[in-house]
Amino acid sequence: MVEKLFSHTYTLNPYTYTINLLSTNKIHNIYTTIKLTNMKRLLFIILSLAFFQGYAQKKKPVSISGSAGITYEGYGLSRNPTGFTGYQPRRPWNQVRFNFMPTIKFSQHFSLPMNFNFAAFPTNFAGPYAGIKKQNIGQLLTNPMNNFGLNPTYKWAEFQLGTQYLKYSDLSTGDIGIFGAGFSLKPGDYRFKFFTGTSQQGLDYAATPLPGIPGAYKRTHYMFSIGKERENDYLVAFNFAKGKDNPSSALIPVLPGSPLPQEGFTLSMQVNKDFKKGWYIKSEGANSIFTKNENDTANPTMKGFKPFIEAKMSSVSDYAAQLSFGKKSKNFDIGLGTKYLGAGFQVTGYPYMQPDRFEYTLNTRFNAMKNKTNVVASIGQRINNVNNSSIRAKQFIGNLNWFTQFNDKFSLNVNFNNFGFNTAGNTTLGYPSIKNVSNDIGVNPTYTWSNKTMSNTLSFSYNYSNYTETFSLPTPGTQQNNTHTALLSYIPVYFNKKISPDFSALYFYNDASLAKITFATLSAGLAVPVAKDKLKLRGQLQYTLGKLNSFTPNNNFIASCNVDYKLNKKLTWTNYLTTNYYKYGNELGTTLTGANYLESTVRTGLQVRF
Amino acid sequence: MAGYYKMNIMKNKILIAFFLLFNTAANAQLTTNLVLNARPPATLTEWSLIRGTITYVISNLQSGPRKAKIKVTIKATDGTEVSTTDLNRARTIIIPDGNSILNAATVFPLEIQRFTGKYQNSLNRTGKLPADSYQFCVELVEEASFAPLAPPQCRSFSVAGLQLPILMMPANEQGLDIKKAQTAIMFRWTPLVPKPSTVVNYRLQVFEILSNQQPVQALRSNQPILDKIIIGQTQFIWQPQGILGFEMEKSQDSLIQRKGWDGTIKGTGKRFIWTIQTLDAVQNPIGIDANYEGRSEPIWFSIN
Repeated sequence: MVEKLFSHTYTLNPYTYTINLLSTNKIHNIYTTIKLTNMKRLLFIILSLAFFQGYAQKKKPVSISGSAGITYEGYGLSRNPTGFTGYQPRRPWNQVRFNFMPTIKFSQHFSLPMNFNFAAFPTNFAGPYAGIKKQNIGQLLTNPMNNFGLNPTYKWAEFQLGTQYLKYSDLSTGDIGIFGAGFSLKPGDYRFKFFTGTSQQGLDYAATPLPGIPGAYKRTHYMFSIGKERENDYLVAFNFAKGKDNPSSALIPVLPGSPLPQEGFTLSMQVNKDFKKGWYIKSEGANSIFTKNENDTANPTMKGFKPFIEAKMSSVSDYAAQLSFGKKSKNFDIGLGTKYLGAGFQVTGYPYMQPDRFEYTLNTRFNAMKNKTNVVASIGQRINNVNNSSIRAKQFIGNLNWFTQFNDKFSLNVNFNNFGFNTAGNTTLGYPSIKNVSNDIGVNPTYTWSNKTMSNTLSFSYNYSNYTETFSLPTPGTQQNNTHTALLSYIPVYFNKKISPDFSALYFYNDASLAKITFATLSAGLAVPVAKDKLKLRGQLQYTLGKLNSFTPNNNFIASCNVDYKLNKKLTWTNYLTTNYYKYGNELGTTLTGANYLESTVRTGLQVRF
Repeated sequence: MAGYYKMNIMKNKILIAFFLLFNTAANAQLTTNLVLNARPPATLTEWSLIRGTITYVISNLQSGPRKAKIKVTIKATDGTEVSTTDLNRARTIIIPDGNSILNAATVFPLEIQRFTGKYQNSLNRTGKLPADSYQFCVELVEEASFAPLAPPQCRSFSVAGLQLPILMMPANEQGLDIKKAQTAIMFRWTPLVPKPSTVVNYRLQVFEILSNQQPVQALRSNQPILDKIIIGQTQFIWQPQGILGFEMEKSQDSLIQRKGWDGTIKGTGKRFIWTIQTLDAVQNPIGIDANYEGRSEPIWFSIN
């Protein structure tokens, strides 16, 4: 039974505009009220920007450019038979997103770029706000899904206000959005940077409703950099980054896996130099002190870095370094890159960085045969267990991509990728050896021909992938996995017509010991502008027949389309609709034979460029 | 992480029950027993956070409470001393009548342990002992003279820091052909090392990187478009089923999406970030990363 996906009820009064969005999925039924005072404000801003720009143009030198918009996205999923949970929703049922990114230029030297991107409903699944449903103003401002940033810039002085994603260097800080204030000053060749703010507010632990909220402590960051730089010549910089949790900012019980209040301090030094004829060298060395639990007592055996950080019993202090050098030119590049991360190297600015590894990569690129041949290749190795705190494992990585344009009609692309993973294990400690090797090779010839009215491109692609897993425990064994993919695509281009179709057919076969998977896909697309190019229509149909082992086939049908209507030179109404119907064969068992689902997404929005 | 050690905890409980039963007939005034997880967490500060890492049972059969201190000695397999308790700083415990069960927080507080040379260096740098086998001994001593009150109890254990999986395919910043990707995308990663004796679950998550989002920002804020638990295997074939958009989709949204947060072109199509969360048999994260999420360093790919 296909359920009704969602329905919208609109109620209007002089002060608020309420949308009742009802999804009929019983588990995720959402009754959401959006007080669209904010939406009205944003629409007012969007519409007034056109006026403001006209005004700005008259009162030179003030000018404004950028974009703004509002987008609604609705998602629906109906599953049959009732109670079938084999397919889970993969988008929020309803979401409204706003973006407002103007740059106001007051004079040649003074500009004010803004970056406001935010959403109506939190959808955090990973990180500090995982599971949050209701957020206070502080949490809204620091939620990674929202940006509220201003960067007023006068000559060499840039002030950074609100949400900023600042990358000082690869080993100090760079992955985290912080809501705060700071500056970046570049007088002459000198560089001074400072920023402080909050990346996450305190969030109490909650066991229910499931899946619960793990909780988070309020984290405050401080970062500072001083250096000297001349573009395309050299850079010398010292970077300091500190992140500190406030242990009293959240109520989180001490449970296995619960967040602990942490503190980290990192000091790094960068030296880069560009030489003549394209030669270059880049380097950075860093030392971090990271405390896993601020509640621990002081560690008398370890030097901290007072007053920035005091060593605690759970503190670790380790080093990291990276070095790359090589040569770049129009037709030839070569470079060697190395990176070392000690087992205890942890920084708050890169929360997912995996330590305890040493890796090196040799990269090259060259053009030959009057630029008709292009080759890109790399080879490298990654080794973990730098401090003998774990079992050593090695990975080998090699890639090659070779493209040749033989003539105006025929080109050929060949690629080869290999990675190997090998750990000898430890028989004394009872850990097994593991060896995984992946080899992928692809061949892709393309033939193009044309006449007076059209050109035709026919492309074929074949990929073979082999993945072998070898292990010693519980009993020595090897698992082989072979995958074949063949794709044929045809794209005609008409010189005198505005329609742009494309067609493709794909065959995929995966052969593993317990799973033989086959997919056969046919797809066709069409793009056509109408109404004097004001309305752009694009659509695609895709059908896939899938088969697992000897079960009866699964069928998948997808239809998607874009409808973009240019309301005037600056304002565009964008629409996207897609529906995905999937019907299983009998692979789920007799009770679920023929189980199916219908998944739909609709996205509509107004975008203004000014 | 807790579930990873739950089998050992169950074993420990049975041993403790036997011990308590046995002691009811014992004559000694103070008897002790030690149950130690043979493969405790590699990070020593986690021992006190994980229930069942150390269980030390004291039976006081004389009338009246006793005062004592706990001395812990760790030795390498060749007999080299790794650590011993600074008894002058050790806390005096009061042992009441009957049976007392003490855990790692009481028996093995790190702040009063003195580690020798290279072991102290290893602890300061990594928080872990070097991967090896060790002997762990616990002894009850007089609070003032440090004279033994009960024979030492010794157990062996081995440590080896776990290495979370490293994501291999699609590689970081790799561009995938949309014609192939819209039917199937192959994900591959390295296994958790060393391989535990219990089942490892790999939770594969893929997040769409929306316009003006940085990759890690998308991971920390968006609903995953793929959230799949793969038991033991290190590869998965995903049918995206329309989630990638399509070749001719060049709406205003996707135009923005082709630009990175800093305005530079990051790819010609939509971008996605993916990661593996490593879970134990009862779906608890094997929390050996700084976030205690057991999440591997994420990487992103684009659709061309």
